[in-house]
Amino acid sequence: MIKISNVFNKIFILILIIIFISTFSASYNSLNLDNLAFAVAIGIDKSTSNKLKVTFEFLAPSPSPESGSDTKPVLNSVDCSSITNGINIMNAYLGKKVNLSHCKLIIFSEELAKEGISDEIFSLINEVQVRPSSNIVISKCNTRYYIENSVPSLESLIPRYYDIFPNTSEYTGYTCNATIGDFFNALVCNSCSPYAILGGIITSDNNSSQSPSPNESSIKSNESPISGSRASQNIGLAVFKDDKLAGELNAIETICFLNIRKQIDTFLISIPNPEDPNSKIDIYLTPNSTHDIKVNIVNGAPYIKINLKFSGKIYSMKKDAQYLNPEVLNRISNSCNSYLESQFSNYLYKTSTNFESDINGFGVYALSKFNTSTEYNKYDWLKNYKNSTFDININTVIDSGFLLTQT
Amino acid sequence: MVKSKIGTISAILLTLSIAVSYITSSLPRTFINETKSAALLNIIYITVVVLFIIILFCKLFEKFPGLDLLDISKFLGGNILKNIVGGFFIVYFTISSSIMLRNFCEGLVVVYYPLTNYIFVILTFIISIYLVNKLSFNATINTSSIVFPLVLLSSILLFCGNLDNFSFRRIYPIIGDGFYNTFILGLKNIGAFGGICYLYFLPPMLKEPQKFKKIAIISVISTGLFILLCVGTLLFMFSFFITADEIMPLFSAARYIEFGSFFQRFESIFLLIWIISFCCFLSITCKFSAHIFNKMFNLSDIKPILNIIVLLIFGLSLLPQNYAIANFLETNIYRYLRIAVGFILGITILILANLKKRKVGDKN
Repeated sequence: MIKISNVFNKIFILILIIIFISTFSASYNSLNLDNLAFAVAIGIDKSTSNKLKVTFEFLAPSPSPESGSDTKPVLNSVDCSSITNGINIMNAYLGKKVNLSHCKLIIFSEELAKEGISDEIFSLINEVQVRPSSNIVISKCNTRYYIENSVPSLESLIPRYYDIFPNTSEYTGYTCNATIGDFFNALVCNSCSPYAILGGIITSDNNSSQSPSPNESSIKSNESPISGSRASQNIGLAVFKDDKLAGELNAIETICFLNIRKQIDTFLISIPNPEDPNSKIDIYLTPNSTHDIKVNIVNGAPYIKINLKFSGKIYSMKKDAQYLNPEVLNRISNSCNSYLESQFSNYLYKTSTNFESDINGFGVYALSKFNTSTEYNKYDWLKNYKNSTFDININTVIDSGFLLTQT
Repeated sequence: MVKSKIGTISAILLTLSIAVSYITSSLPRTFINETKSAALLNIIYITVVVLFIIILFCKLFEKFPGLDLLDISKFLGGNILKNIVGGFFIVYFTISSSIMLRNFCEGLVVVYYPLTNYIFVILTFIISIYLVNKLSFNATINTSSIVFPLVLLSSILLFCGNLDNFSFRRIYPIIGDGFYNTFILGLKNIGAFGGICYLYFLPPMLKEPQKFKKIAIISVISTGLFILLCVGTLLFMFSFFITADEIMPLFSAARYIEFGSFFQRFESIFLLIWIISFCCFLSITCKFSAHIFNKMFNLSDIKPILNIIVLLIFGLSLLPQNYAIANFLETNIYRYLRIAVGFILGITILILANLKKRKVGDKN
C-alpha cells in the first residue's frame, strides 16, 4: 500500500525540480554557447557622433573545411555613450550575447586615453567576464585599424597571438605585459601610477626602410624600423598620470622600466665600443636578483637610490676581438655601466619631471618611511614624485662571448 | 542529539569551518579597510587577545567538567536564565547564518547566475541543509573534517599562486592608521573569532572532554593563522580594498591565478570548495541551534525543530531589501552581535557561575 506521505514527498520533489529548472534555465541560457558571441579584442575610440566608438573583434569559423581550424576575424563597431551600452547594442545587432570572458586585448585610442579612461576601466572591471589578465594597449591610431592590422602571420589563431606577444617583454624588454587588473590596481593606488602597452601601425611614412632610425633602442610603436606582413606593432609603453595618458616610453626606456619592476629575464643592448668609438657592441644582459631600491624623504622630497647589478655576455663578434683579456672586458663593463646609468637616469627623470607619474611603484618603497597611513596620505606621494632625486648605481660584470671568446 | 561523540581533531576542524565561512565573505575586506597596512599586525594582536580570553574561558569551564553553557546557566539562574541564554544563542546563530547566506548567494548570483533571482540560489542551500539535517550530526562533522583540508589547500594555493602579484612592502606603515586604530578600534575585529561561540556547547559532545582546553587553544591559533593567510593574500596583492569594494574579495584574488597558458581560471574550483564549506557551516549552525532548543525544552525528537530553523534561516535571509543592507548588517551590526553574544554574554555567565560555585562551596 502506498503511503500518502510518500506521494506528497514525490510531488514536492517534482515541484521543486520544475521550479529550479525554470529559474536556473534563464541563467543557463544566458551562458549557453549557442547564445554567446565571444569577443577576442575590443577597441575603444573617441566617437564624433557620440561619446565612444567601441569595436569588437569576433572570430568566425572558416566556412571551408579544407582550411582546417583557421578562423577569420569579424569586426563590428558601434557608437555609444558607454561600453555597456555599446555591448547592449551589439547584442541586438548580432542576435547573440557578447561575452568578454575570452577577450585578451583591450585597446584604447591615444586620443581617448589623453582625456581619461577611468570610467571605461571601472566599467570593464565591474564586468565579471573580463579577466584581470587581459592586456591593455594604447593605440597610436584608430583602434579598429589597429585590430584589422593585428592578424598574426606566424599563428593561425588570433587569440593565441594576443596571448603570446606581451610575453616577449621577458626577453626583449621592448614591450610590457600590462594587464587591466594591474591598471585598475594602479589607478586606485596612492603609491603608483598606471601604464599600458603602446601599440601602433607601420605606415609608409614611419617605415624605417625609407628613413632609418638613428638608434634601434629609441624605437617605439609607429616609429620603428620594421616592415612586415603584420602592420601592427607593440613597442614601448604608454604612461598615465591618474587616468590620463601622460606620455610614451621608447624601447630602451621600457627596458629600464622592466628592470626596475623586476619583470625582465634578459635583454640586448648596443653600447659604445670602448676599443673603437665609431662602433657598437651588442651585449646580452641578465639582471641579478640583488636589485636594491631604497627611498628616503630628504627635505620633503623623495630621494631614490637604485643599485642595479647585471651580468652580461658579448653577443656581437668581430675580427681581432680580445674578449678573454680582463682589461678589455673591464673597459666594456665600464662602458656598459655608464651607458646604462645615463639611460636609467634619462628614463627616471622623464617619468618624474615630464610625466609626473610613478609607474615604477617607488611609492610602495616609501611606505616604510612613514609612521602611519594617514601621514603617507597627507604627504601625497604622487604629487611629490615630480620632486624626486635619483641616485643610480649600475654594476655590470661582462663575460666573454658565447661560442667564440676571441678571434 | 549526539549519539556518537566528537573526536579532538573533528572538534578543531568544526570551529575552523565556521571561520572559513566568515573569511569567504567580507571579513578580509573589513580587516584591510579598517586597519589598512596594519591588518596583519591587527590579526596577530587579536589572536593573542582571544588566546588570553580562551585560556580564561577554559579556566572558568574547569569547575564544570562535561557541562555546556546551558547547564552552567541553569546552575547560575535556573531554567529561566538557561532559556534566556539559549534564546540569545539561537537568535545569534540563525541571524548570523542567514545574513552570511544572503551575502554569499548575492555573490554567486553576480558571478554565475545573472538571470536567476537570489531567492532560488538561497533555496538551493536551504534544500541542501534540509537534506543534510536528515543525517546525523556526526555526518556533518565528518564532512567538515574532509572539506576543511581542501579549503586550507585552496587558501595555500591562493597565496602561492599569487606570489608573483605580491608586493610585500604593502605591510608598511606597520601600524597602519596609528596605535589607536590598530589596537583599540581594531579590537572590534575580535568578532572574526566567532567560532568560539560553538565551543560553549562542545564539552558534553566531546569524546575526551579533558582535551577541551587543547581544542580551544588550537582552534584559536589555527583560526588566526588561517585569517592571516587569507588577509595577507589580499593585502599584498591589491591596493584597492582600501578605497574600493569587491563583492567576494577572495574570489577576486583567485581570478589572478594562472600557471602558464593551460592552467587558468581556477576560481571555479575555489568557489565550489567554498560552497561545500559554506553548506557545512550552515548545517553546523542549524544543528547547534536545534541542540540548544532541545536542551531548553527537553524534546524527544529534534528533527522537526531542525526544519523550523532551516525555514527561519531562509526567511531571515530574505529580510534585507538588497545587498547594500545585507552587507551593512554583516559588517556593522553582526560583528557586534558576535562580540556581545560570543564573548561578553558567555564569559559573564561563566564568571558569575564560578563565583556562585565558590560561594556554594564556601557555605558547604
